Amino acid sequence: MANSTVTSYAEALFAIAAAEGDLNAVEEELFQFAQAFRSNNELSSTLADQTVPVSGRQQVVEDLLNGKASATTTALVSMLVGAGRAAELPAIVEALVERSAASRNKDVATVRSVVDLTADQKDRLATAINIRTGKAVEIKVVIDPTVLGGAVTQIGDEIIDGSVRRRLNQLRESFR
Amino acid sequence: MRNRRTRLLAAPLLTMLCVLAFAGPAQASGESVGACMAEHLEELVDQHDGDLHHVLHDEHVQDELEKCFEAPNPILPETTEIIWGGAAFLILFVVMVKKGFPAVKGAMDARAEKIRSDLDAADQAKADALAVQADYEARLADAKSEASRLIDEARGAADQVKADLMMRHEAEMADQRERAAVEIESARAQAIADLRAEVAEIALGAAERVVQSSLDAEVQGRLIDAYIDEVTGSNG
Repeated sequence: MANSTVTSYAEALFAIAAAEGDLNAVEEELFQFAQAFRSNNELSSTLADQTVPVSGRQQVVEDLLNGKASATTTALVSMLVGAGRAAELPAIVEALVERSAASRNKDVATVRSVVDLTADQKDRLATAINIRTGKAVEIKVVIDPTVLGGAVTQIGDEIIDGSVRRRLNQLRESFR
Repeated sequence: MRNRRTRLLAAPLLTMLCVLAFAGPAQASGESVGACMAEHLEELVDQHDGDLHHVLHDEHVQDELEKCFEAPNPILPETTEIIWGGAAFLILFVVMVKKGFPAVKGAMDARAEKIRSDLDAADQAKADALAVQADYEARLADAKSEASRLIDEARGAADQVKADLMMRHEAEMADQRERAAVEIESARAQAIADLRAEVAEIALGAAERVVQSSLDAEVQGRLIDAYIDEVTGSNG
């Protein structure tokens, strides 16, 4: 559960993105950056390193996102790094995504797979989840090679695992 | 005691004295050969009127003198000897009856009494000895019985200890065998499990590498479609 600081920053990001009128795009860009931040230790350690000057860390952000993300997204990430909240960036973005989905009366379904899902696959999966759980969800895809194949979906505390990794693990357990 | 001994000594001495005292006259009355010859010669000389020469040449003188060499009667002593001997016997008999016999009887009685008393004492000592022996034998029997009992008890205790030790040893051996069997079975199961896990890891590692290399984007898309179908299918 997000703490008050994370929630406050998520609310701020939500308000800014909404004010800029590009909430969905900013939300998606922040989500993708958060995944990169989480999977890249060098990036996360650099942006969270307090010994590195703020300007230097913000320059790293601008260099990474220049031309790849909107100006709003770049500014929001620079703001978080400048405020010394780089370590909490994934949690803040996660709270932002949930907040954004909640504004549309939906929950977030995080899907981890080796490849990105097509729009059709996302729609069909959202429908299937809605039928299964009764929840209207928005699909957020996280590229995770460790899944090997298939996908793993998490909605809140519920996990639907249809990955090749799970089947290999089941096979491993059956050998024991 | 001393009087009795004195009387016992006095009786034979007195008897000997009497014999010696009366022996002289008896011998004298028996006459020696010389005296006999002298008496015959004197009688012959008297018969021939004192003519000694004639007597000496007379042939009958030799016969008379030879009578002196003839032995006296071996059965019947001389009369005087009978008289003296009878008197001495009577005197001796009286003395013996009056003095010797009571002394001898007293000594014999005393001796008999002493022997009886000694026999009684011996009997008593024998009885005491027998009693002591019986007591000793009884104690010896008791001791033997006690020793036998103690030996039996010790043997029984030793047998019990031996049986207990054997039972304990067998129980320990059985327990050790059981533990060893359990450990062996556990080790075998663990070895099999380890081997199986290792084989599984090797196989799964290989399978994972094969999956990673063989799952292209198209296959991944089909896997996601299958996943969506699985989620959809699980609903109904």
